[in-house]
Amino acid sequence: MSGRTIELVVVGAVLAGTLSVGTLSAETHKDYRFNVGPKAGVSVNNPFGSVSVKPAPGNVVVISAVLYSDKVEVDNNLVGNRVEIQSHLLPGGDPQSGRVDYEILVPADASVTLHSSTGSLHAEKLHGDVTLEGASATVDVHDISNAHVHVKTLNGPVTITNVQDGHVEVDSLSGDVTLTSVTGPLVQVISTSGGINYIGDFGDRGEYRLTSHSGNIEATVPGSTSADVSARSVRGEVHDDIPLQPKTHTWFPITQGSAFWGTMGQTTMSSTVVLRSFSGKIHLRKRTSK
Amino acid sequence: MNCVDLQASLAETEDVSRVGQNSAQRAHLKSCPECSALVAELNLIASSAIELRAANEPSPRVWNSIEIALRQEGLIRPQRTGRSLLPSLGSRWAFARWALPVAAAVLITVGVYIRQTSLPVQLARNDAPAVAVSSEVSDAAIAGLNDEDLLQEAAKQSPAMQAQYTDNLRRVNQYIQDAKGVVAADPNDEDARRSLLEAYQEKAMLFELAMDRSLP
Repeated sequence: MSGRTIELVVVGAVLAGTLSVGTLSAETHKDYRFNVGPKAGVSVNNPFGSVSVKPAPGNVVVISAVLYSDKVEVDNNLVGNRVEIQSHLLPGGDPQSGRVDYEILVPADASVTLHSSTGSLHAEKLHGDVTLEGASATVDVHDISNAHVHVKTLNGPVTITNVQDGHVEVDSLSGDVTLTSVTGPLVQVISTSGGINYIGDFGDRGEYRLTSHSGNIEATVPGSTSADVSARSVRGEVHDDIPLQPKTHTWFPITQGSAFWGTMGQTTMSSTVVLRSFSGKIHLRKRTSK
Repeated sequence: MNCVDLQASLAETEDVSRVGQNSAQRAHLKSCPECSALVAELNLIASSAIELRAANEPSPRVWNSIEIALRQEGLIRPQRTGRSLLPSLGSRWAFARWALPVAAAVLITVGVYIRQTSLPVQLARNDAPAVAVSSEVSDAAIAGLNDEDLLQEAAKQSPAMQAQYTDNLRRVNQYIQDAKGVVAADPNDEDARRSLLEAYQEKAMLFELAMDRSLP
């Protein structure tokens, strides 16, 4: 290796080191702590960056924020029993420099509202209401019980897992929605072009409505499921792998291949399941035992 | 009270029919046929005037003629064409002013839905044209929001997302059209009506997301 090459490598390494140190030094960690009462509210508006919420013992909200530049600041406020957090972009801020990542600990009974345009939104192990909204945000919710779960996204994928006794409403324009072991009095997904995938047993006596304009809908249920299932696709196909007891009285025409309506399991315990699509494919599958 | 006093009191009276309720006036009117005739005549004129006002309201054409004449005389100037009646999308809080029309559009849609579902089934078939007309009204209200302006605003707030907003707007408009088609084919189809409502909800959500409340 010539002396000139060595010189260039050294200069390059020094420059790279300087740049990385500069980048790292632009990151700022900030922590906030609020004492709250029972069933507190926590609201986070974060245009660019992720928000993750987990439960913690005690009536305290602990917020750990990573700010990626000095072009953004965190406005925080405790109003009554409600904590409000806003990532506030300063002049010159953009999606990169305005990014803030939050890790938040809340009492398990807190109601949480999260909003981000581009980051991921995550909430787990809570039994307070959870509302998550974001344009292209990735949404992940799991282990929620006895609560409302409301999600709105433009194209971010939505994954909801293990929600018991939930009042679940998901609106997504083009993001795929996956529900696994989600049950409750109301489970509703509306999508324009995203696919909807439900894996679970539809609980008992709940109303499950999965609708997509052009996305496919797939429901995979165990053989022990009790449900009254109607499926209808205006221009798409409908497949049913599970033998259903057909309904004798229906208020829409049952055309082979584009609609079915029937009951599986115990009718006294059955939930109502409505699967609707215009041009997407609908498939009711039986889950194979592992 | 004499005739001068009575006529002076008439000048201060707003309601002629009330003349004579005062004891002094009543005593004078009993004794004075001239004043009594005058009050009767005034009552007749007042009652006839009310009927004339209701019966002879000038037609819109008259108002138009008056307006044209006033414009020709330069007493009315045309409004500046550069200023739109619709709120601008350019300012920071512009979308807040769109919130009301958005809410109105959604409410109209919901109202149409609720009204239609509340009608007896046997009337639904007869009301098919009404459904179509109502849907047109709702569409017009939503179209008034101007998809193009929305996309421009989305591009301004988040340029990288413009293509996705464009694509989603196209898809949701197609959703609405498809749902309307199914409703038109069978106005009794409760399910199709619900799908139409959901399609409108999706579009409302698209506008809501484009507003991006989290942005500072």
